[in-house]
Amino acid sequence: MSLLAAAVRRRGPGALAWHLGALVILGVVLYPVVWTIGASFKPSAEIIGALDLFPADPIGDNYTRLTEGIADIPISTFFLNSTYIAVGSVIGVVLSCSLTAYAFAKVRFAGRNVMFAIMIGTLLLPYHVLIIPQYVLFQKLELINTFTPLLIGKYLATDAFFVFLMVQFMRGLPKELDEAARLDGCGHLRTYWSIVMPLCRPALVTSAIFTFINAWNDFMGPLLYLNEPDKYTVSMGLKMFIDQDAVADYGGMIAMSLVALLPVLAFFVAFQRYLIDGMATSGLKG
Amino acid sequence: MSRNNGMDRRQMLKLAGLSAAGLGLTAAGCGSGSGSGGPVTIRHSWWGADDRAKKIQSCVGLFEKKHPKIKVKTDFQQYPDFWKKFNTQAAGGNPPDVIQNAVTFLRKYEAKNVLLDLAPQAEKGNLDLGGFRSGLEKFAEIDGKLLGVPVGSNSMALVIDEKVYEKAGIAPEIGWTWDDWYAGLRKIRSGQNVAGDAGPHGVMYLYDLILRQNGKAFFTEDALGFGEAELLPYWTEALERVKAGLYADPNKVEQIKPASATAKGLSAGEFTWDNFSVRYSAEGRSSYGLAPIPSTDGRKTGQYLGSLMLSGTARTKHPAEVATFISFMTHDPEVARIMGYDRGVPATTAQFEAYEPSDAPSKAIAAYETAIADAGVLEPITPHPAGADVIEAAFLRISADLSLGKTSPKDSVKQFFSEAKTALASN
Amino acid sequence: MTHIHTSPGALATGGDRSAAKRNGPGGIAPPVPPKRRDSGENLAGYLFMSPWIAGFLFLVAGPMVFSLYLSFTEYNLFEAPRWIGLQNFTDMFADPRWRQSVKVTSWYVLIGTPVKLAAALAVAMLLAQKRWGQSFYRAAFYAPSLIGASVSAAIVWRALFSDDAIVDRTQKVFGVEVGGWIGDPSMIIYALIALTVWQFGAPMVIFLAGLKQVPRELYEAAEVDGAGPWRRFFHITLPMISPVLFFNVLLETIHSFQIFGSAYIVSNGSCGPADATLVYTCYLYEQGFVNSRMGFASAMGWLLLLAVGLVTAVLFWSQKRWVHYEEGGR
Repeated sequence: MSLLAAAVRRRGPGALAWHLGALVILGVVLYPVVWTIGASFKPSAEIIGALDLFPADPIGDNYTRLTEGIADIPISTFFLNSTYIAVGSVIGVVLSCSLTAYAFAKVRFAGRNVMFAIMIGTLLLPYHVLIIPQYVLFQKLELINTFTPLLIGKYLATDAFFVFLMVQFMRGLPKELDEAARLDGCGHLRTYWSIVMPLCRPALVTSAIFTFINAWNDFMGPLLYLNEPDKYTVSMGLKMFIDQDAVADYGGMIAMSLVALLPVLAFFVAFQRYLIDGMATSGLKG
Repeated sequence: MSRNNGMDRRQMLKLAGLSAAGLGLTAAGCGSGSGSGGPVTIRHSWWGADDRAKKIQSCVGLFEKKHPKIKVKTDFQQYPDFWKKFNTQAAGGNPPDVIQNAVTFLRKYEAKNVLLDLAPQAEKGNLDLGGFRSGLEKFAEIDGKLLGVPVGSNSMALVIDEKVYEKAGIAPEIGWTWDDWYAGLRKIRSGQNVAGDAGPHGVMYLYDLILRQNGKAFFTEDALGFGEAELLPYWTEALERVKAGLYADPNKVEQIKPASATAKGLSAGEFTWDNFSVRYSAEGRSSYGLAPIPSTDGRKTGQYLGSLMLSGTARTKHPAEVATFISFMTHDPEVARIMGYDRGVPATTAQFEAYEPSDAPSKAIAAYETAIADAGVLEPITPHPAGADVIEAAFLRISADLSLGKTSPKDSVKQFFSEAKTALASN
Repeated sequence: MTHIHTSPGALATGGDRSAAKRNGPGGIAPPVPPKRRDSGENLAGYLFMSPWIAGFLFLVAGPMVFSLYLSFTEYNLFEAPRWIGLQNFTDMFADPRWRQSVKVTSWYVLIGTPVKLAAALAVAMLLAQKRWGQSFYRAAFYAPSLIGASVSAAIVWRALFSDDAIVDRTQKVFGVEVGGWIGDPSMIIYALIALTVWQFGAPMVIFLAGLKQVPRELYEAAEVDGAGPWRRFFHITLPMISPVLFFNVLLETIHSFQIFGSAYIVSNGSCGPADATLVYTCYLYEQGFVNSRMGFASAMGWLLLLAVGLVTAVLFWSQKRWVHYEEGGR
């Protein structure tokens, strides 16, 4: 509050209104998160009805409950599966999308314009039309209940958005650099790997983080394709929690919800500059 | 620039390392090799809740000790989610090896060749079909195929909040009628300001009994056994009772799902399978008992013994192990002592005699099933056509829409028959 | 699956004027106009493009064609597809639940998207003022966009909007007796809309970037001319950020059509009560995977594709009237 007061002294009453407004919005936006943190330390019976954000006597029971796992499966299994899929997706997206983007931005080949238009088209394609036929495809290939259906698209650059983002970024790179490389006798592969990729780091990091978070949060993919609980991701583990313990163990479910968010929140705190600043400005350059 | 490059590569390596570690772990996690000598892993899925999970886990532990070469992995979900998942798995070509099953699903999955015919396994001696009570081993025989083995028998009942019923001075007995029951609802409402029932008009199995009391049934061999003339008055009356507060507030019932309305104090009773009553005392604060199904004429309740079954799936790579496991779960006395009446009164004599109920709910179930058996109200079960499960879900959902005031009784009835027609045609 | 759950954050943060510009009146322009082609370049291009080409053929184009075929068949995954002509489509139009799913989804898109974008723009304008703590607020407001699509957020939402929980109690303070929104078929959709509005941070970041590009001199000149804040907003801000606005409208609309996870979890897997949260994807999932009507579900998918295509076309067409590009264009 003293900071606020100082700000008001310096900038006048407009600043006070600004800060008050921002704080009110902040309260509304963060309320669900803070509520979850508080609720995870409350006994199950008090979670819904109690209005206090934080309990008078916080308990750790909800968290110790998590160490028992769900249906005999330790929570760590879900986290490992999610990590595997998320990291696998990141590698796939970074490699395949950057290759495609390089071709669009730096190679002059026949049919490029048409393919670029198609790629933009898939960016706007609602996935509904693909759910059933892709499922049938993977069923025929006997790939249901494997991670392959969840990963393969990432290795085949089907995330048009990231291709688009990287094309934008590569176009912004100074032309002299790759022209110089060509004069030095570098082929496209060398130029791509040693010159363009290192320079694209901001776009790659942004794509990587979003890919990780999307894969981590994905619900429908695992719901359709994973059948055995020991292959479940965190999202599906949470779903199991709802199915099995909503009655008996509301607290455990809330605690698990919070734990499931931690990796996403950690990425956000660590990389928020990349996510917000880098993206907003790098996009505008194009 | 070269430093940047190095950073990238190092990060990449780290990521690659992580994913390799993940791969290793997953590979180790799903080693279900079936080579000779190595242990065989079978997967058993069922519906239920946490309390059943603990019991099944103990049984599986016992089984694995006695059959060290067979490992059993289990998972479970709520009833509707279980069948959603199972249907997807069966279609996807990798259903679990052993499932908990019910009569509604037999024809549906038989028509799709999903279920394992257990008869050959019985001939080979992997599955013991001896010692079943009152012919229950024939329960899942369809067209000469044995599609499941009953684990226990159950029957529809009215679970009541005993404290509320006592206070209202209502003592349900065999032979009471729907009029008696309805009078009770009004008494409870006026006396204690509580709804008397959670809303029975969405429970397919109860409506089946009401139809049977009147010489019909919910299903014939391949169609519905009733028409708009029956359902419209039933649902019209139900809506009036919801509005009068005789049936529980549907908004609240919706929000406490998957908990039971009676256990949560929203109603003084609800119609369900008798073995479910084991759950109530764990979930709720009052004491709960079983009351008989009311009848129309004071005699015929239309009841039959239902049963949960264990079925194998046709695509299993280990039919012998599947049969061994099912045989164990249905005959081992120790299993009976662990499971109690959780899945109904044990189907085999060996298990029936091994378990002496000591807790009140189980004693009540035993007393209830003995009482209805002695009263001679039990009839043979009618098989359900393929698509019955979709119809059951539609019946429940549309009746809820009706209670919530979203549709008129007339439109609800129309909608139900239209959906039932589609379900029977496409399954 | 790659198209599933692209968070609005993921799509939106790439949102920028150049994107809108590129898709502008001139149509979709290639990144660099091609000048010289030779066979070496062609080979290199196709090699680099090979993952994308394979992905497009096997995961997008092929499945789309297959799905078009399936939409004229009855197919339950167990038996071979059976040709039934237009039956799936006539069934669909006669099906009140399908109509309900269209109604629910339209309502969600028509209310959710404008409210979310209005909130995003309003907060972006507040944050556009350079003040102490600005970047902190920006980060904090953005956070829900990353976690909003998760199962966790949906679980928390179900708790916050249920009977006797915070929202219900707050209403009672104002004398409104609705009870929990989760069990009320006329209210639960607003709980879902609140969940999407909560994620206003992603479009906000894009608006902010757009607002930063508006030259200060324009405002100063307008102020000299005596223009009030409303006139400045409608005559300077809105036209200047219209490309960004267009981009946000486009992506948020398309994204909203695809809602599934939050509706599924908030309604405890029932997409109810009384089908009140039966969004299009929920019904497609139920028909395809629960009722084994893969043909019907494919037909549903194609119909939505046509609908979204139509909405997109209308948006692109309409932009001539209200989107102002700084250079080129018209």
